Amino acid sequence: MELSAEYLREKLQRDLEAEHVVEDTTLNRCSCSFRVLVVSAKFEGKPLLQRHRLVNACLAEELPHIHAFEQKTLTPDQWARERQK
Amino acid sequence: MAAGAAEAAVAAVEEVGSAGQFEELLRLKAKSLLVVHFWAPWAPQCAQMNEVMAELAKELPQVSFVKLEAEGVPEVSEKYEISSVPTFLFFKNSQKIDRLDGAHAPELTKKVQRHASSGSFLPSANEHLKEDLNLRLKKLTHAAPCMLFMKGTPQEPRCGFSKQMVEILHKHNIQFSSFDIFSDEEVRQGLKAYSSWPTYPQLYVSGELIGGLDIIKELEASEELDTICPKAPKLEERLKVLTNKASVMLFMKGNKQEAKCGFSKQILEILNSTGVEYETFDILEDEEELKENGELLPILRGEN
Repeated sequence: MELSAEYLREKLQRDLEAEHVVEDTTLNRCSCSFRVLVVSAKFEGKPLLQRHRLVNACLAEELPHIHAFEQKTLTPDQWARERQK
Repeated sequence: MAAGAAEAAVAAVEEVGSAGQFEELLRLKAKSLLVVHFWAPWAPQCAQMNEVMAELAKELPQVSFVKLEAEGVPEVSEKYEISSVPTFLFFKNSQKIDRLDGAHAPELTKKVQRHASSGSFLPSANEHLKEDLNLRLKKLTHAAPCMLFMKGTPQEPRCGFSKQMVEILHKHNIQFSSFDIFSDEEVRQGLKAYSSWPTYPQLYVSGELIGGLDIIKELEASEELDTICPKAPKLEERLKVLTNKASVMLFMKGNKQEAKCGFSKQILEILNSTGVEYETFDILEDEEELKENGELLPILRGEN
């Protein structure tokens, strides 16, 4: 079972056709925690719960092994706006 | 077979020697958990696992443990596709409910404890267990307009995420009830499947999953939290509503049907004799009222 940040990022990028997958490494709580920002057009028109479900589904195999998982989901538009702030 | 069965109840781990004996055993033990160890004399791990089983049998007398020489009773081994030893099969109501391949003592212990303590023993028990659990979860998620399933309690959270969740809810004065998922393994695992959501904390409003900490944080940032979650009315508001509930309101210990103190009882008798219509509020039911009422009483008198 691969749990490297690299592997998770790539998987998310592939399955969600993500424009951007950024892992937050500033908080190094423990080796099995993962905090990520995913930007994908697939999130358009979807409420938060549904977006998070998409991410959860993508990482269904890995999640049970990640002790602390945090995610933020944005559409490309929202991401563009955030960056302007 | 009766004498054999009686002996099985006393002996720690009985040996099953034939397919017929096995079928009989399944029928006899339908009302309890039956653990079958498929073993072989040439495999040393089996001897060790037998010791583990004997210990478990002592601890859990309501569970039946038997062993069956896999190669000695091939019809049964083939029927259950036993490919290696040791293998453990778990039966309830003559139905196989679980399986463990290999000599994993801690895993065996866990499975035995889990199956021994779970659910009812009705026919098609698995169906009923699932239904019962779903019904229970439905009730739990609807137990309050806003329900938080967390690790620990709001007073003593047992995980950073649950703690943060509680802080946000308090910060926004949101009224919620909570459930400690550490207190109930069945709910802890069941709710994850029920809502297809793998982690805790989980926040529900009107029985619907809103999400975990991440989502609540995003809702907070976008200022949608207040529209989605019910607010706890401020005490002053509550008191205003309560004191105006009827033209005559009696704040007492107990209620009209049952006074819980001498003075309250006397007041009830007096009011009843006057024929005045009035309603009551039991201050024993509400700590907040009891503590705060004294301080706010002068204010209320002023308003009235």
